[in-house]
Amino acid sequence: MSDVIVAGVGLHPWGKFPEKSWVEMGAEVALSAVADAGMEWTQVEAMVSGAMQWGGSTGMRSGNTISAALGETGVPIANINNACASGGSLMRAAYAMITSGMHDSVLVIGTDKSPKGYFPSVPVLADEPRPPIDMVRWQVGVPNPAYWAIEMRKRMEAYGSTEEHLAQVKVKNSRHGSLNPYARYRKAFTLEQVLASPMVCDPLRLLEICATSDGAAAVVLVSERKARRLGVSPMVKVAACSLASGEFGDPTIRIPLLAAASDTAATAPLLSESRLAAQMAYEQAGLGPEDMDFVELPDNSSWHELQYLETMGFCDPGEAEKLLDAGETALGGRLPVCPSGGFSSFGEATMAQGVLQIVEVTWQLRGTAGARQVEGARKAITEVYGAQANNSACILTT
Amino acid sequence: MGEPMKQTPVLEGAFVSDPEPALVGSRCRSCETVAFPAGFTCPNPRCAHKDVVATPLSRIGRLASWTTVHFPPPPPFVAPDPFVPITVVEVEFVSEGIQVVGPLAGGSVDQLRMGMAMETVVEPYYSDDSGEVIGWKFRPAGGDAHE
Repeated sequence: MSDVIVAGVGLHPWGKFPEKSWVEMGAEVALSAVADAGMEWTQVEAMVSGAMQWGGSTGMRSGNTISAALGETGVPIANINNACASGGSLMRAAYAMITSGMHDSVLVIGTDKSPKGYFPSVPVLADEPRPPIDMVRWQVGVPNPAYWAIEMRKRMEAYGSTEEHLAQVKVKNSRHGSLNPYARYRKAFTLEQVLASPMVCDPLRLLEICATSDGAAAVVLVSERKARRLGVSPMVKVAACSLASGEFGDPTIRIPLLAAASDTAATAPLLSESRLAAQMAYEQAGLGPEDMDFVELPDNSSWHELQYLETMGFCDPGEAEKLLDAGETALGGRLPVCPSGGFSSFGEATMAQGVLQIVEVTWQLRGTAGARQVEGARKAITEVYGAQANNSACILTT
Repeated sequence: MGEPMKQTPVLEGAFVSDPEPALVGSRCRSCETVAFPAGFTCPNPRCAHKDVVATPLSRIGRLASWTTVHFPPPPPFVAPDPFVPITVVEVEFVSEGIQVVGPLAGGSVDQLRMGMAMETVVEPYYSDDSGEVIGWKFRPAGGDAHE
């Protein structure tokens, strides 16, 4: 089984780009990743691309659309949608194509333009016998942040977490984001400013929930022999790439569902798919959480950042707030969390956000992350969180 | 008084009003797993038989969590203008082993306490051109939930 090396990366600035199409954004990052790998477009052996629902039919086949724009070469193209975990799922597919020996180079593209505000439902056929649960949940009145707020209130009850903890996560990530030229939001917020932002789903405020953005990211993964031929240096290795789904008996009410096993009857952990994806990645890499120099986790909201520190094995339940209070999760701390600024500073672009994490980790491990560089970073883990219990984790090492 | 408004359930078969308001889920005849809304088969991967039957849930559950939604959901929800925030509660049905979310019926969020008894009611969610959309809600039943 060949090792898998990140040969090239490309990133588009994130924000709102009404004058530019997702196809142009995707093509741009694809070409910069290919060039960063020292390759030509015609040398790419296979492509995987995020199946972008907001782009309609051609968006669902984004890889073919971008390939047609840049020049079709006949390579296999797979378009994948796993909600916010799409980027990780693309990585996993590309990783498998290389470890299997099927291809020596695979281009991974995530490009996305998002609707403003709550993510709405995608229309379904009118002749289905029952309305889809994703429609019913809007009628009941449960937007995505409400699911997270319900878990956060339990956390406050169980561990005495406060609204200040939620705000401090944003203060920290906004400081990281202020150092990243690609981030959409580059303002470092104060605690008072975060606490003064409007309540969306209490206890979660507007500044504690990631925005919906336009963004694009691309990565070229290659086999070790191809990396040697290309003269890739330093070699950033994909030491693990996992994908997991939910387990029966998990008490998490998953977007867009309306029920789950109760906390007392649960036979699986909260966010079972996320815990599983992290565990699988550690096992595959032969490394543990204690070996990681930093982490890019899915900070879709401030609740996520606190919860994922536990779900990914960095601390015991109820201890995440202590790491935050002690400054250990900030740049310069023992375990910087989201040195990129996270989704808090970039916003969600569901097809691209998992690929964005890989780009950031690659720059960090190459030592080219500029003002937000994690000193001496050698190993890091990424994780994305997808609706309906999808999760992917990657460990990169150098 | 004019004609009574036409009422449409938000999800057919997910709740009943008679003889008392209650949610309706499915229960596996073999492993007893309860699901809401009702499934066409048992969701337990280790269950061999998978034969399910529709079953009303307990009327009373315990409050597991809640949040107030301060921005209106998108269509098909029809939001009043100005928008009145919706409190969504999570209620645990202890003997069924599941928790379900639904809107808080009336009252104020200040009265909510973790673990308090909540009862199921059926009420309008909103009205549109075709009439009222009705569904399940939960309201404090008075006291703690004991089962």
